[in-house]
Amino acid sequence: MDDAITRREAIKTGLYLSGSLALACAAGWPDHGLSEAHAEVKKGRFLVEGAGETPGYSVQTLTEKVFEAAGGMGAFVSRGDVVVIKPNISWARTPSLAASTNPEVLEAVIRLAFNAGAKKVRIADNTIHNAERCFALTGAAMAAQKTGAELVHPRSSMMQDMKMQGHRLDVWPVFVPLVEADKVINLPIAKVHGLSVLTLGMKNWIGGVGGRRNALHQDMHQTIVDLAHFFKPTLTLIDAIRIMVANGPSGGNESDVAVTNRLILSNDPVAADVKAAGLFHVAPASVGYMVLAEKQGLGISDLTTLTEKRVVL
Amino acid sequence: MKARHLIWIRRISQGVFLALFLFLLIQTRFPSTAYQDYSLTMTTEQDIRVAYPVSFFFQLDPLIWLTSLLSGHVWMKGFLWAVGVLLLTLLLGRFFCGFVCPLGTIHHMVSVIRPTLKGKALIEANQKMRSERIKYFLLIAVLVSALFGLNAAGILDPMSLLFRSLTLAVFPGVGNAIKAACDVIAASDIKPFNLLGYAAEEIASPLFGYGYPAYQTGWLIGGFFLTILFLNRIRFRFWCRTLCPLGALFGVVSRFSLLKLEKNEGKCTDCQKCTLACQGAASPGPAVDWDSSECLLCFNCFNQCPEDAITFRFRWFPAQNRGPDMGRRAVLGGLAAGVSIPLFGRLDGQVYRVSDPRLIRPPGSAEEKDFLRLCQRCGLCMKVCPTNVIHPALAEGGMAGFWTPRLIMTLGYCEYTCTLCGSVCPTGAIAGITGKEKVERPIRIGSAYLDRGRCLPWSGNGPCIVCEEHCPTSPKAIYLRPDTQTRLDGTRVTVQLPYVDLGRCVGCGICENKCPVKGKPAIRVMAAGETRSVKNQILLDI
Repeated sequence: MDDAITRREAIKTGLYLSGSLALACAAGWPDHGLSEAHAEVKKGRFLVEGAGETPGYSVQTLTEKVFEAAGGMGAFVSRGDVVVIKPNISWARTPSLAASTNPEVLEAVIRLAFNAGAKKVRIADNTIHNAERCFALTGAAMAAQKTGAELVHPRSSMMQDMKMQGHRLDVWPVFVPLVEADKVINLPIAKVHGLSVLTLGMKNWIGGVGGRRNALHQDMHQTIVDLAHFFKPTLTLIDAIRIMVANGPSGGNESDVAVTNRLILSNDPVAADVKAAGLFHVAPASVGYMVLAEKQGLGISDLTTLTEKRVVL
Repeated sequence: MKARHLIWIRRISQGVFLALFLFLLIQTRFPSTAYQDYSLTMTTEQDIRVAYPVSFFFQLDPLIWLTSLLSGHVWMKGFLWAVGVLLLTLLLGRFFCGFVCPLGTIHHMVSVIRPTLKGKALIEANQKMRSERIKYFLLIAVLVSALFGLNAAGILDPMSLLFRSLTLAVFPGVGNAIKAACDVIAASDIKPFNLLGYAAEEIASPLFGYGYPAYQTGWLIGGFFLTILFLNRIRFRFWCRTLCPLGALFGVVSRFSLLKLEKNEGKCTDCQKCTLACQGAASPGPAVDWDSSECLLCFNCFNQCPEDAITFRFRWFPAQNRGPDMGRRAVLGGLAAGVSIPLFGRLDGQVYRVSDPRLIRPPGSAEEKDFLRLCQRCGLCMKVCPTNVIHPALAEGGMAGFWTPRLIMTLGYCEYTCTLCGSVCPTGAIAGITGKEKVERPIRIGSAYLDRGRCLPWSGNGPCIVCEEHCPTSPKAIYLRPDTQTRLDGTRVTVQLPYVDLGRCVGCGICENKCPVKGKPAIRVMAAGETRSVKNQILLDI
């Protein structure tokens, strides 16, 4: 009888238990997977520009050549890696309208990643239009089907609050597959945009989060930099095979598109954007987020400070 | 053929058709395996269509065929199926109710599995009753109403009713519960739970839809459905016997059916087993004539009779069945109701004067008067819409437009090149247009207008170009003009103020949907300017 605990003791023990559980949960909270995904931009900053100059060149071959010039995909992706690709497939538009990442480039990158030994390649984008329509119309669904990559449907359960520790964004829901990966490849398309001037690599990360995205516009440039800082991809490959020069970022007409036949690959997100800005004849100094990103140490805009290569097909 | 075999054939047939109905219902969605072959279509967009003939059950339904013919004067696509069903009814009687109708099957299951009625009470409930005349009243009312230009059949037609109830109430209700559970599990920090949550969602989402589907008046539709299921506690297949207008139509035609129940009264011991098992209160027992119009052709009496006193035989003319017991009051009442419904339905001025600004119809919809002649309120367009923007109207379409489709832009938006709703509409109330047509004509469903007091830059609350960013037309219907504003603390900021160009706006509503001002956004869409109406225009040149 003496062993039996009293009601008061039982309640006390219960409270301790639930309290420590709550603490454990709170402590265990948002640092999933942030460790390895972000290869630090330290040694060997480079930028490779690929240009398709012969008529009828193969976009896929150009993509391969660009990676070759950067030392091959094997230099970035190790055997057994989970690779996630973040294209811009936010608008349910056909590839010809240049509102979304070129599916040929996407397909080539997936193949390169698999050839380098990737265990799994995922395509993840939190689309603006209905996700299934985006997948079908942009060609992403077919690229996934052809290559065996996994196309992740963006849904609310996959948006989890994480600590951004940005200047403006503190805790924000993040599209989980983008951080639960060994290597992250940012694969945007180059377009004009009404507020941020251009949408290139760093702005592409708006598609990596959920929540009240339409409120980010109230401090667009700083939030772009915060997001770019948080996601920090292994590589940025800007698809500028066709670029959208008017009516961005949604486009909708062939007359909004210019065919520039370029690919820009870099491990410096700022340098990649700066290089792509040149295609639009936009001075990087006039684009708020590029200036902010450099100031906050995300990369260097001066292209003379890195190894620049050019591949022509 | 042995009666036992016939029962099993009926059960299998019921199961197969119910399964087919559910399968087609689930397939009424943007096909999840759709993709465009970009090597072929770098420059053209194909219209992606639902992979199965999802309006099949609506083509089988003679009530839908007749009302759309009487009221809309159109021969709906696939109406020959309905003609075939009517011809078969002339031969067999209400076989559709007993063998095919998925709603009938559901009522049958609810009645028979764990029945509430037994013994004497059941015999009592299976007697012929005057309340059975209500269905003839309803049939006459919807047919006459259709003749006078308002097609209300869909509210009670069993195909429309079942599709609407399942797709707008039952599936989303269950789906939301599953999704909520998945979200909770997926938010767990424990990895296996986490993965389990994702996996469960992966399986459930294609069936129930991604996200949390919502439908205006879904609770009302669900409540109505539960009520008619509950009625089976009062009498077996209460709906089929008492209320179903399609059953009434088959009942009228069954008067001439060649397949007849024959009673051998000499063998009958009056054990009442036939009446106990009867699904339709069709008087299978002795001393009264069999009611061909009430017989659901379940063959239970044939199977149950221990003396083999009941048989079904084909008998040619001139052997006639007992006529349907309509009653003069049901006929006159039906006529009166049928004439009044269309007249009263237009008293709110929606058709002749001005329609509600919130009554935004799906792209390709017919002009309002014709729309009300054709729409069956079945919910196919609402189910197939990938953004969940189409909802059953409550009062926005007036009384006549109850449960007809209406777009609510705060819950979804119309995708610029999507034309799925028109492609599945069984009667053509929403025309089957192509994406190219929709964009190039263009087909407008309304117009956007700004509420400057709410708009962030207009009200001096900071930059925002979200509506302009999402505007899908090229060139954009929403354009920006820079302006310098002085903030409360004296700082000067440059903002871009949005304007709407009505000449370009198609009313798709993505601006309203994505506006950061939630609930009642700063930019909203009204029906004015819709292509389908000559009257409801704003600009001189359109």
